[in-house]
Amino acid sequence: MTLILAVCVAVILAVCIYLMLGRELKEVAMGVFLLSHAAHLSIIAMSRSPVLSGAEGHDLKSAPILGMGSQPVDALPQALILTSIVISFAVMGFLLTLIVLTGRRATTLNVDDLAKEQLPTP
Amino acid sequence: MEQPSSFWLLLAVFAPVLAGLLSMRIRPSLVTPRVLVALVGPVVSFLSVLIHLAGHGVAKTDAATKVITWIPSLNLNVAFLADGLGAFFALLVSGIGILIVLYARPYFGMSKDEQYRFYPTLGFFTTAMMGIVLSDYMLLTLLFWEMTSISSFFLIGWYRYEKESVHKAMQAFFTTGLGGMAMLGGILMFGSSEGIWRWSEVAHWHPHSSGYVIAAFCMMFAGAATKSAQYPWHYWLPGAMVAPTPVSTFLHSATMVKAGVFLVGRMYPAFHELTIWPWLILIPGAITMLFGAVTALNQHDLKRIFAYTTVSQLGLLMCAYGLGGLEFEHGGQHLMAIDWDVTQIANHAFYKAPLFIIAGAIAHVAGTRDLPKLYGFWRVNKPMVIVMLLAGYALAGGPGTISFPAKELFFYAIYHAFEIHWIFQVLAVMAVLTAVCNVAIFVRLFTTLLGLPFGQRDLSFDVAVQGQGHGHGDGHDEHHDVGFWAAMLWVPGAVLVAWQYLGGLLPNLWSWIFRPLEANVNYEGFAERLPFVWEMHWGIPLIMSLCAIGGGLVVGLSPLMRGAVGDVHDRIYPFLYWLCVHGGGRAFRTFQSGHFRWYVVAVVSFLILGFAGSVYFEPAMLDVHTASPLEFWPGLLLGIVICVSALMLPMVEKRVIRVLVLGACGFSVVGMYLIYQAPDLALTQLMFELISVILFVLVLRMLPSPDVKKSPGKVWRIAISAAVGITMGWMTLLAANSGTPPALGPFFEANSYEGTEATGGRGGGGHNIVNVVLVDFRGFDTLGEITVLSIAALGVWALLPGRAVRRLEEKFGSEGGAA
Repeated sequence: MTLILAVCVAVILAVCIYLMLGRELKEVAMGVFLLSHAAHLSIIAMSRSPVLSGAEGHDLKSAPILGMGSQPVDALPQALILTSIVISFAVMGFLLTLIVLTGRRATTLNVDDLAKEQLPTP
Repeated sequence: MEQPSSFWLLLAVFAPVLAGLLSMRIRPSLVTPRVLVALVGPVVSFLSVLIHLAGHGVAKTDAATKVITWIPSLNLNVAFLADGLGAFFALLVSGIGILIVLYARPYFGMSKDEQYRFYPTLGFFTTAMMGIVLSDYMLLTLLFWEMTSISSFFLIGWYRYEKESVHKAMQAFFTTGLGGMAMLGGILMFGSSEGIWRWSEVAHWHPHSSGYVIAAFCMMFAGAATKSAQYPWHYWLPGAMVAPTPVSTFLHSATMVKAGVFLVGRMYPAFHELTIWPWLILIPGAITMLFGAVTALNQHDLKRIFAYTTVSQLGLLMCAYGLGGLEFEHGGQHLMAIDWDVTQIANHAFYKAPLFIIAGAIAHVAGTRDLPKLYGFWRVNKPMVIVMLLAGYALAGGPGTISFPAKELFFYAIYHAFEIHWIFQVLAVMAVLTAVCNVAIFVRLFTTLLGLPFGQRDLSFDVAVQGQGHGHGDGHDEHHDVGFWAAMLWVPGAVLVAWQYLGGLLPNLWSWIFRPLEANVNYEGFAERLPFVWEMHWGIPLIMSLCAIGGGLVVGLSPLMRGAVGDVHDRIYPFLYWLCVHGGGRAFRTFQSGHFRWYVVAVVSFLILGFAGSVYFEPAMLDVHTASPLEFWPGLLLGIVICVSALMLPMVEKRVIRVLVLGACGFSVVGMYLIYQAPDLALTQLMFELISVILFVLVLRMLPSPDVKKSPGKVWRIAISAAVGITMGWMTLLAANSGTPPALGPFFEANSYEGTEATGGRGGGGHNIVNVVLVDFRGFDTLGEITVLSIAALGVWALLPGRAVRRLEEKFGSEGGAA
């Protein structure tokens, strides 16, 4: 499972950087959005594989809730990610707002042209 | 042995600044009371030091006063060390401080504003200087050291509306400030490696030339060298001559520039055994000595002449300390070069301060400091010329002054160093040339000021006719004083120069005063007192002196080297300044280009290079064993979905489909959370994913459709992205397969409902471990998270104007809407 997650992190991050290097502000926003997925997956990989080793079939460990099972997964990465999800959502909302405002005030959403443009202050 | 109390020395340190501040309380119109109050400060200092010395005698270099606890955790407490060197400097600083207070009164004339500002600043400086020379804790010395930098900045930039003045003040502050930083580093390195934070402990330290100690010593010496204007950092000292002459007299001849020499003297007892000591100090010292003397000869401005001779003399003092690191024998006795080092320092102060005092007095009376214009100044003011020539004679090291045996001692040390290495013969030649220049300067002063043949003369200017008026070179326009205060322009100089002849003509008296202060007297011939002129042995050192006097007479009378040359080193600081301002601006514009893509590339290249570097040094990082991806096939399937949807994202063109693909990727991540047994994550992510997709769709509707422009070069974009992806993926793999099992998981598991000993028996009281971690163990973290969310929400609400505002904007234009 760790290998799968690592590949997912690699692919998502590659796409994210590819989008961020693009010219469209919307692409950049999507890149930022994807970045959080890559980060979360890489953090949850720290809790090791959820597959019970040596067990019959493909049994999974239990959720980190007392009384659910004898071998729960590590709870700490989950707690960290939960905080992170909320924060990345907040950042995403703010970023989208900024993009909307930029779209209203600027003549273009091209990153290169925006760098040269003198935007009126709100 | 009982330690003496710190009280008198504490009083000695802080009396000047207190008196200075007190003088500000006096009405500006009352000039004489102000001078008297300001005078109290250095007088109290001087007497306090004397009282301390009378009570406890001159301390040994390891006998500090009682410690007054201040910041023990930083090894910074208040204790004083009144050993020979420190006590001498304290008496010198406060004694000359008294004379400067008296001298500044007629110098500034009746200018109330100048005096109002001058005395507190002078008091501040005097306190800082007293602190340097008396402190026992190294960091306390450094504190006062920086205070002298600050106060000298104010004093050098005294004429604060003149650009030149402020510029030179910054130059001095910048140079000595950098040295101070180096010194701080040196003290911290030395203290932390050797555990020694007090000068009195240095005496018991057993030196060893480890790399750490050498580096610390070099940095401390950098502080001393910048403060004492050693080549190539000497440029700030002649530049600082824009200051009023009382300042130049006090700071740049007698006290502050000696702080570096003093520091070297403080380090001497233990550090001189380092093998690097003689060479590190001798080489810049020797260059400074000769360079200063030759440049001084080629100046016209009196203050510049004396500034460069000061530079030269500081080089000589450094050389003496450098030679002190060498031990050589003569007739079975160890002979040290810094015998009577306090006398060497006192000698310089007692002739250089009068020279400056009279230079300022002459400028005050004649309106110019240009030597050729002062041809025949004797006819205008006889006392000033007499004092200046007496001091100039000491500058030349003429027999009959204390300067003569002092210079002789130096020659003596160099002569005996011949036995060690032939290179010291070069030093001997440099020393003689320096002395030639000094004699030549005296000859010039003599012939010019008395109006004799061979003097320098500016034929277009007659000082007796034109020099009586005003419009001074020193920037004050007040009328001249008469009587007592007029005499105070030159009397302080006379008081100081009298010591020169006291030492030269009555060596017994001089030795009686100064012998107790001398810590370094190794040669038995000088153990009791310095020799009279007629007791000098006929030998190489005396021949060197005669050569210097003869050569000086020839050079002084000859028409050679009579111009005024600039100093190429004056360009160092402007160049550095230019480099900082322009180079810094350029670097800023390069790095902060304002292009988003550049920032992304910069950040990710750093990540990739960092990872590549770690792999290079730790090749084992490439070796990772992990379980087969086939161990759980639903996971493999979800992984494939995630990857495919992510890869599709840049490929699809239509905006709505793009958002849907983005959503697909997010929902498959939710699935991955489920496999990882994280129901809380899955629920939260599902909710936010839904909202995000809706938001994206809404936002895309609001935005204009994309410009049809070709994207930037695809190849390098793909290359960078792939590199970042592989790096981060590999790091994930490494971290997830590291050997140590997670230690925090079991802790939370054990404490989430019922506590253990680790939590003092109090558990979180919840079954869902993730929830307990969030709201209990890491509660403040969650509070921060909520704050971020709220601030973002507030920001969105504030940035997006409501419908009512928008309607107004449409009606009245954006200006009306904003109002």
